[in-house]
Amino acid sequence: MIRLESVYAGYGGGDVLQGVDLDVRQGSITCVVGPNGAGKSTVLRTISGLLRPRAGQIRLGDQPIHGRSPAAVIAAGVVQVPQQDGLFGRLTVRDNMLLGGYLIRRDKARLRRRMAELAEAFPIIAERARDKAADLSGGQRRIVEFARALMTEPSLVLLDEPTLGLDPKTCQTVFETTKAIHALGATVLMVEQNVRFGLKLATDGVVMERGRVLLAEPATDLLARPDIAAMFFGATATT
Amino acid sequence: MATVTLLLQTLILGLLAGGVYALMSSGFTLVFGVMKVINLAHGAMIVLAAFLTWWVWDRTGLDPLLVGIFLSPVMGAIGWLLYKTVIARVQRADWELTLVASFGVAVAAGGVMALVWGAEGHAATPSYFTTSFELGPLVVPQAQLYACVGAVAMLAALHALLRGTFLGRAIRASAANRDSAALVGITVERTMAAMFAIGAATTGFAGAALSVLYQFVPDSHYRWIGLILCVVILGGLGSFLGAGLGAGILGVSEALTSSYVDARWATAVPYVLIIVVLLVRPQGLLGGRVRADGVPA
Amino acid sequence: MTAARARRAVIAGLILLVALVPVFTPDTYIHNLLILTFVVAVTASGWNIVGGFTGYVSLGHGAFIGVGGYTGGVLAAHWDVSPFLVAPLGGLAAALVALLLGLATRKTRGAAFVIVSYAMLELLGLVTRNWSGVTGGSQGFLMPLPSWDVRFQNWPFYYALFVLVLLSIGMTVAIRRSKLGLGLMAIRDDEDKAAGVGVRTAVYKSIAFMAGAVLVGVAGTVYGYYVSTLSVGTMFDIVLSMQVVLAALVGGRGTVWGPVLGAFLVVSLSELTNTTLGGTDAGAFRLIMFGGLLLVVVLLLPKGILPTVGNLLEHRRRGDTASPTGTRLEDTPLPPAPARSGTAPSTSDLLRVTDLTMRFGGVTALDQVTMAVPRGSITALIGPNGSGKTTVFNAIDGTYAVTSGSVTLAGRPITGLGRAQRAHAGVGRSHQLPRLFDSLTVVENVAVATGEFRLAGLVRSAVSGAEAARAAELLEFVGMGAYLQARAGDLSYGQRKLVELAQLLMLDPDVILLDEPAAGINPTLRARLTALIRALNDSGRTFVIIEHDMHFVLSLADRAVVLARGRVLADGEPDEVRADPAVLEAYLGADLAVGADR
Repeated sequence: MIRLESVYAGYGGGDVLQGVDLDVRQGSITCVVGPNGAGKSTVLRTISGLLRPRAGQIRLGDQPIHGRSPAAVIAAGVVQVPQQDGLFGRLTVRDNMLLGGYLIRRDKARLRRRMAELAEAFPIIAERARDKAADLSGGQRRIVEFARALMTEPSLVLLDEPTLGLDPKTCQTVFETTKAIHALGATVLMVEQNVRFGLKLATDGVVMERGRVLLAEPATDLLARPDIAAMFFGATATT
Repeated sequence: MATVTLLLQTLILGLLAGGVYALMSSGFTLVFGVMKVINLAHGAMIVLAAFLTWWVWDRTGLDPLLVGIFLSPVMGAIGWLLYKTVIARVQRADWELTLVASFGVAVAAGGVMALVWGAEGHAATPSYFTTSFELGPLVVPQAQLYACVGAVAMLAALHALLRGTFLGRAIRASAANRDSAALVGITVERTMAAMFAIGAATTGFAGAALSVLYQFVPDSHYRWIGLILCVVILGGLGSFLGAGLGAGILGVSEALTSSYVDARWATAVPYVLIIVVLLVRPQGLLGGRVRADGVPA
Repeated sequence: MTAARARRAVIAGLILLVALVPVFTPDTYIHNLLILTFVVAVTASGWNIVGGFTGYVSLGHGAFIGVGGYTGGVLAAHWDVSPFLVAPLGGLAAALVALLLGLATRKTRGAAFVIVSYAMLELLGLVTRNWSGVTGGSQGFLMPLPSWDVRFQNWPFYYALFVLVLLSIGMTVAIRRSKLGLGLMAIRDDEDKAAGVGVRTAVYKSIAFMAGAVLVGVAGTVYGYYVSTLSVGTMFDIVLSMQVVLAALVGGRGTVWGPVLGAFLVVSLSELTNTTLGGTDAGAFRLIMFGGLLLVVVLLLPKGILPTVGNLLEHRRRGDTASPTGTRLEDTPLPPAPARSGTAPSTSDLLRVTDLTMRFGGVTALDQVTMAVPRGSITALIGPNGSGKTTVFNAIDGTYAVTSGSVTLAGRPITGLGRAQRAHAGVGRSHQLPRLFDSLTVVENVAVATGEFRLAGLVRSAVSGAEAARAAELLEFVGMGAYLQARAGDLSYGQRKLVELAQLLMLDPDVILLDEPAAGINPTLRARLTALIRALNDSGRTFVIIEHDMHFVLSLADRAVVLARGRVLADGEPDEVRADPAVLEAYLGADLAVGADR
């Protein structure tokens, strides 16, 4: 569904991505894991248009989206839930949800319909509509973020470390919500620190290291590898 | 005058002056709070609006405050132009140079005003210019009161804009986190330009109020930007509530100094407060943590 | 004749020309123009020391003219002497006010400082006006009338100010070439980093502020005498302050001759506006021109004329702009490691962090972290993202003040020391994104790292003698020996890392903290870095290295400390730590009981 070819990208201080080749299957839940500094979040930022790749291509279907503005990428159907500060703490839950529909704000009917549909799927949106987002717990915020990402009915959802800072119980909710999004027809590309969680949830797994893709396998196969821990501590995994 | 009466009168005049200061600072606070840009030309825009108001009133006799309302879109357009040509370009470079550039604009604007209207003092003097309401022994100048009411209305309108419209939400989101705002599809640059224009639009009514309340000359913009900086620094850069608080404190401090110390020292108050606050509590009364260079952390 | 000699000849010629103007012509109009130019030139040069070298942009520098003018005038009247005699006191007064302003920079920098400087100008003007008993207030203050031959009316003023201009230039040159100047420019580029390499920023700034004001104050007295009536409007004029900033920016911030050139331009343009667009509107046109010019300079020519021209000429001379590209490091052998100076301290644990807790707002970034770094070891500090590793470094080198806990170096507690003091005590630290002083050359970057502070040492030449040799040696060691004169801002990422390493070695630290040294660099450089660290370690230096690249760090380290969520999770030999299930869990993530069937 989305393909990266030889993507090089960085922040002015050296390239973080040093030739990424990645192919995400339509309808999959693909999880990217790898040690810190591997460039996982940078891949998502580059896809979303926050970072312009120095070289390489990113295609959504047959449409090139590399180098396009974040708004254009969202309009193409790709929405990201960032690692942190995605929700605007000083704004209410309702305001946050409305902002999720920023690009469809002129279509009032559609906006209202989406708000209602998502409030039904995620009751917390209606319950805490008038509360400031910062007043919700970490897990509740995550749910609102997920729901917000769906306002424009995207075909590809990017999740950047969805379990960061969450307790095990809330991780279960993240698990279920991600499955739910997937069931509604969206493809999910996620990056996860918690390797076991990510690979249990995903259908496809990808390992990145030092700005490159090392392995791409079905998630269950990857999780079953005995040398998976070693990959983080110095031994390069054998293909 | 009896001591209590003097005190109360001083407080009333101080608070009314504070209301006017709050009016003058509202646009500046909006721009600083969201974009962290210090626009030293804000005072010059207010004086320009005052001149324009006076000019229209002089020719047509229309109520100055009404003229001010119509001036708002004009000032807004000027602000948008200023943003596109100057502010957006300098911001990318250097913080301090943004200040220097906006200062250049202020000085040049002062020159233009002197050219067009000359250097003598002006004031728009509608009927209520010199009349006052009386509350027992206390005097409440009418013009000041109207300006205060205007200030409250202006701040309420800005507040409503920020809370109730998509533009307002986009502005607040962009101020909170540019990347996250971009990730919901907000074009941050355009939002910033719109917000700068809104901040400029406030100078329309503020300038009209100025024309009614005080005499002004082209060089008045130095005094006004000093007052505005003081209000914003006192209250905590970027918060409307803070600006209101800061304005009140400044107004009352000036009035108290005038009544109890010496009228001549009243004009020094804003500068003293600026220096004291920046040295002792740079984040102001309500501001959050602030780095040493005045950029909110 | 070489370019430098030609330049010097031209300058000497111009100076002579200007010096002889009163001899050639009695036209007081020209004298007046030049006198004004001199005043602006002296003030702009002074501004340049504070705003150009040190980086503190002031919109109120003209206030020092006022301080000097009034101090000199009042004292001259009081003691009944010629103002020329008390002019130095005017300078002293200005220096004292500048010192106070400089002290304010502890809390205010950048934009806040600009505002404070403006407020100071206005406030001083108001105080002077209100203190009318002494200063004459709005009436003005009459200076004594000149007592000499009317034919040479302007000569004393002319030459006094001319001499002051020459002195200002001389002072600027001296500062530019000295250690003081180097330190100031480092402060301008990155004040916190300057403290981190041992520059006593508070002292340097105080000196800079005073130097930037003293000659201006003297000029103020002379100028006040010249205009013969002191008034708050002319002596504390915001337009003068603005002209000064304009002059320095147009001519070239941070150069020696830029402010002087700028002064000539600004005053000439001002005069041009006066004569061509004369009449009552002249003042207004002047303002438009100044404001507009300020705008144009900031937008289009921010470096100023001299540096821009200088760059163009240099490009022409060099051909294409050759920015330093990486050497083939694997081809060059590793030079011997530089020797340690001084005796090694005797304690076995070099660095000890005890119960270190850091709280920011509601977040506890570090919770009772305790670790001991043995002398001569290479300790790896690892852990998942956000575990607090860089915060530990910041607590050790003094960037952050600890909430509670202590840090001792060689048995001596350093928790209370400032950043520069810790650098002197033996803490060297590199940053994730290498921080250098971009406008300085590579060798200057290393030489600016100073050891113990000596006031007299400030006047010595910036890069000379033993220090220069040592800097060159260190740069040779890290492999940057061919780039001594390259501008730090032009270097590649990898090269910056190497220079930063040389920089921290300059202070001969006992413990070296490296923050993600291997991040973002190619394998060749990574191998080189490994070799460098090993060589330095063999010669007796202790390392603590934060890294995510486990290949790199665990092959080097003899000990590893694992941090997770602000707490120490494990501490021991790398192989033990690798196999520790708690550590694996921290990296792989908790084995949560999650599943679709729940």
